[in-house]
Amino acid sequence: MKAKKSWLIMLCFALVFGVLAACSGNKEPASSENEGSSEKDPVSGGTVVGAMDTAPTGLFNPIFYTEAYESNILSFTHEGLLTQDKNLDFIPNLAKEWTFNDDQTEVTFKLDEKAKWHDGEPFTAKDVVFTYKTIASPGYVEAGGVRTQYVERLLGYEDFSTGKTTDFQGVVAVDDHTVSFKFAQPNVLALSDASFSIIPEHIFKDIPVAEIPEAGASRNPGEVIGTGPFQFSEMVQGEQYVLKKFADYWQGEPKLDSVIWKVVDQAVILGLLENGEIDFVADPNGFQAADYETVDALENVEIIEQPDFGYQTMGMMHNHRSKEDSEAGTINPANWTVNEKLKDQKVRQAIAYAINRQGLVDGLLYGRGIVQNSPIATQFWAYDDTTPNQYEFDPEKAKALLDEAGYKDVNGDGFREDPNGKEWVLNLNYPLGNQIRERSAPIIEEFLEEVGISIDLRQPKEAAAYFEDLEKNSQDWDLYLIGWSLDSTDPDPSGLWSSMAGYNYSRWNNPEADQLLKDAFTPPDAFEQDYRKQKYSEWQVEFGEDLPSLILYAANSLWAHNKRLQGIDVLPYSFLNDTHLWYVTE
Amino acid sequence: MYKYIIRRLLIFIPMLFVLTIFVFGLIQAAPGDPITGKNFDPNIDPEVFERQKEALGLNDPIHVQYWNWVTKVMQGDFGESYIFKGRDVSELIGERIGNTFYLGIFTLFITIIVSIPIGIYSAKKPYSILDYGATTFGFFGLAVPNFFFGLVAIYVFSIKLGWLPSQGSVSSPGLTGIELFLDKLQHLILPGLTLGLAGTASYMRFMRSEVLDVLASDYIRTARAKGMTNRNVLYKHTLRNAMIPIITLLGFEVGILLSGAVITEGVFQYPGIGTLFLSSIGNRDYPVIMAINLMLGFFILLGNLLADIFYSIVDPRIRYD
Repeated sequence: MKAKKSWLIMLCFALVFGVLAACSGNKEPASSENEGSSEKDPVSGGTVVGAMDTAPTGLFNPIFYTEAYESNILSFTHEGLLTQDKNLDFIPNLAKEWTFNDDQTEVTFKLDEKAKWHDGEPFTAKDVVFTYKTIASPGYVEAGGVRTQYVERLLGYEDFSTGKTTDFQGVVAVDDHTVSFKFAQPNVLALSDASFSIIPEHIFKDIPVAEIPEAGASRNPGEVIGTGPFQFSEMVQGEQYVLKKFADYWQGEPKLDSVIWKVVDQAVILGLLENGEIDFVADPNGFQAADYETVDALENVEIIEQPDFGYQTMGMMHNHRSKEDSEAGTINPANWTVNEKLKDQKVRQAIAYAINRQGLVDGLLYGRGIVQNSPIATQFWAYDDTTPNQYEFDPEKAKALLDEAGYKDVNGDGFREDPNGKEWVLNLNYPLGNQIRERSAPIIEEFLEEVGISIDLRQPKEAAAYFEDLEKNSQDWDLYLIGWSLDSTDPDPSGLWSSMAGYNYSRWNNPEADQLLKDAFTPPDAFEQDYRKQKYSEWQVEFGEDLPSLILYAANSLWAHNKRLQGIDVLPYSFLNDTHLWYVTE
Repeated sequence: MYKYIIRRLLIFIPMLFVLTIFVFGLIQAAPGDPITGKNFDPNIDPEVFERQKEALGLNDPIHVQYWNWVTKVMQGDFGESYIFKGRDVSELIGERIGNTFYLGIFTLFITIIVSIPIGIYSAKKPYSILDYGATTFGFFGLAVPNFFFGLVAIYVFSIKLGWLPSQGSVSSPGLTGIELFLDKLQHLILPGLTLGLAGTASYMRFMRSEVLDVLASDYIRTARAKGMTNRNVLYKHTLRNAMIPIITLLGFEVGILLSGAVITEGVFQYPGIGTLFLSSIGNRDYPVIMAINLMLGFFILLGNLLADIFYSIVDPRIRYD
């Protein structure tokens, strides 16, 4: 009996070790020995592994994807006519050159003849027309598309998208390699509008718009076709996405054989970077600021740190939208009611002075971020860091401003009352989902109470519930935290801050500011960047004076990569640039 | 017996029906919807989201939405996910249920082969060194949170020693046959051990106390008095009786394991039902939430039924007709 038992145990051990051994056997990467010698010359071959902390939903079609995780893959596989350089100016990509007509309502692109689709078909003007036509089609939004901003300025968009006509005039193929974009009005954003990723006509032409999201060509490896340097070739859904090089790439054969995206938990990214299992981690989340020192200490890893295109802000409700309008989604400033509690501009300015924003950056972001004073990304030519009020931390000034405005502590409870001597409590709302922001809320409460403002810190809500409240039930809100990520194509802030913008949750209604935003966008002056810059500068001053929101901070992007990965040339908005030039040294 | 099983299966239908009404009402009552607050992009006109809500039927009254859902489900169509656009819910679940199933079986296997022998031994020799050791281990296993044990295991076995893979369910696409099987098995070891730890700990304690109870009962004393060997007393009489409550628990356990282990799956990025369920709730992906709920309800009921059937095998006194 004894003998039989120990035999069983032996068998168990044998099984376990067998599995372990098989595993460590697989670990060895398939590296070619002969190519490791010279570090200078870019060599061909090799594989790099990128990490993201959440799986893509699996929709790999530029016109329908919505999440940054898909974008990670699409950046390798698809391209647009134009791209942006380090100064955020538009430069040629699939289009070689372009010319505007005299009144700036039409721009004509010459396309690169060398460009090919992954399946060998030539890339032509028809593909460009097809892409834009599909986005403008009736039913595109209902099928889940959200990129109408690229087509809504095109000539005849209204009629085409509502089905009044089947004649699409906005984008026209002149010949196989020439394409014209026609706009309803002179368009300041012409180049930005024309920069959207192109999808192949020959693959999608027979698929109705509503069925494109579920088509194999939008989701299956081998079937997703683009013009980019890598093609989507294999996947384990939810875990791994393999991109193989496209040898016929029009800008030259990529150096790397393949790029693999692995989905890994945020908590183990550093360990895997250290032991070389992953080679890089970048957007959307990079690594945490708290881990900066640890990553910096890793010998095999290099850090890339630069400002992000987004900011965290504390909105101040100027007005409240009526319940009925909120339900109906109507934006009509005439129906708004003034938020008495924050009505006085001096009060809002006092709030700005009372918060130590540099302290938030130092304490919560370990210094890996910047204090920003207006809602335009600092990388843009339009950002003005001198003329608008910078609101250096100054609690004394805050107190003085509050006194001046008549908000004084009359009953001696340590908190100020309003000018009529009535109780004055500001509520502060914030969502869950961003740990740094969650931690900033009670700190902000303390800063404000320090100058005598009584704060009611409301229970945080998870994102879905919070944003619904903000849309519909914010009639009694005063202060609210929110984060915005911005587009890198154009600095125009009117989508968030013009009085008619849906996202203008503070319901800021300032006709002068609105006019400045409009001017900055009105041709022909607006074709001069200097003119726009001047108008945006004036607008930023107005924003700083009137304070519909106090911009708290912009966290830096923290990306890291293994030193064996070379040829990286990051852009202000992306780690994934010229990936066909990436190579590995070992 | 067969009649009994069929009758029990038929009762499932009204029970699941009531469950769906309840869950549907609950998730609709929760604030938020699948569109608002997602993809917050200043360049996207909020109007776009309003049109999408309308197109998905989210603005319909709740009973209309429920009716639309339930009539489709009757025809075997669970609809499309709102978040994983263009993908059928059944496909989404089908892709993950396999992983969850393997992990569940593996965990159950570890739990049973470790906890039951130790439990029996502890009861046979109470207050021995091994009994104290097992008790200590039991409290340890119950006290250490899963995610922590998982992270420690990853750190030691994957990152420092490099023995086992830490993330996912398979190392690369394109594996087949025995290679695929071994690869999947390797990926199961760490999450399986992590999940098994807590289960092992509690089952060991249950087993010990059950066996101790039975050993103290009259019929065991009678059996011993008749001169039956210790071996026979333990395995023939004691175990059969001690197993009954354990089987009830295991019946529940099947349902729980198939519902996925949210935290463990998260730490190991093991694509199972648990993480899908959690993210669907956060995203208000109603069709996925409903389908998973229905499935869980079914498995838990099934687990209970299996437990009842096993009773009659273990204990001949229990008969169904």
